[in-house]
Amino acid sequence: MHIPDGFLDLSIAAVMYVGAGIFWFFAFRRTKVVLSDRLVPLMATLTALFFAAQMMNYPIIGGTTAHLLGGPILGITLGPYAGMISMTVIVLIQALFFGDGGLTTFGANVWNMGVVGVFIPYLVILLVLKFRKDTGSLLAGAFAGAFLGDLLAAVFAGFELGLSTLSFPYSVPIAVAAMAIHHSIIGVGEGIVTALILGVLMRVRPDLLNLPKASPKWMGKFPVIRSQTEGQP
Amino acid sequence: MTRSMKLVAVGVVFAAGFVMVGVLVLSMSAETLDEVAEKFGVGESPIYEPPLPDYELPGFEGNAAVNILLGMTFTLLTLLVTFLIGKALKSKNLGRSSPGG
Repeated sequence: MHIPDGFLDLSIAAVMYVGAGIFWFFAFRRTKVVLSDRLVPLMATLTALFFAAQMMNYPIIGGTTAHLLGGPILGITLGPYAGMISMTVIVLIQALFFGDGGLTTFGANVWNMGVVGVFIPYLVILLVLKFRKDTGSLLAGAFAGAFLGDLLAAVFAGFELGLSTLSFPYSVPIAVAAMAIHHSIIGVGEGIVTALILGVLMRVRPDLLNLPKASPKWMGKFPVIRSQTEGQP
Repeated sequence: MTRSMKLVAVGVVFAAGFVMVGVLVLSMSAETLDEVAEKFGVGESPIYEPPLPDYELPGFEGNAAVNILLGMTFTLLTLLVTFLIGKALKSKNLGRSSPGG
């Protein structure tokens, strides 16, 4: 998913920087209002945890490998704006020190993994919670959101590559299909892991899921998530 | 130890586990995008030489102990950078009341 330098036309890379820049502006503005003494260590810990998790490459199909993105859990626990900032830190360190993702394509990578990969899961779970608030629905929403987030992030990457006619001489449908097929499998894995982590957090530290979240005001408040053990003898 | 410090400690322990598994077991990386690009004959054009290409210290390629140390160092750096960003953002908001989620 990390697009290296040279894969995107500079015009496309510039557009993606503008897109990510708009989200950075609102993310920093909103996150500083919401951050608390409890949220800062959680944000730092989750960012470090998913930086480390991205070092594990799982074999999927056709000899390719995949790794977790972590965007869904970052979005659900911290709110999508703070989650985007976390993902920006991860992608920046990976690009600067390891050459994993380019510098000209940094905006595109943040857009794909930090905006699409974080906001879509958050929106899906928020939508599910509007209709049903039981544990099963919440976990199903987490799975669906993580799956869709990964898939749409790959679709965006495919569009960016396909539209880069100078650098990537293949059309949008070919690039999108190539990215989407493999990432639908990665999305299933991300969905399972997201639902598992959420289930564990609901059982052991539900308070972490109910901290104020850095999200756009128009999305409204995230409903209170109750402990899985609540009500049990 | 405060609850927040316990959380950070547990997170670092899990992260260390991820780094070790990532270096010792799940280290082979062949990302879809790289495979697709190779199939289509598209190559990278880096504008900058990273100091630690492919998550390895030049001269110590394939050395698991060095790679684990590298992974842990940058995991802790990520933790520190995010913590400082969070603190800086929070300090800019001192004096204002938090409106909640």
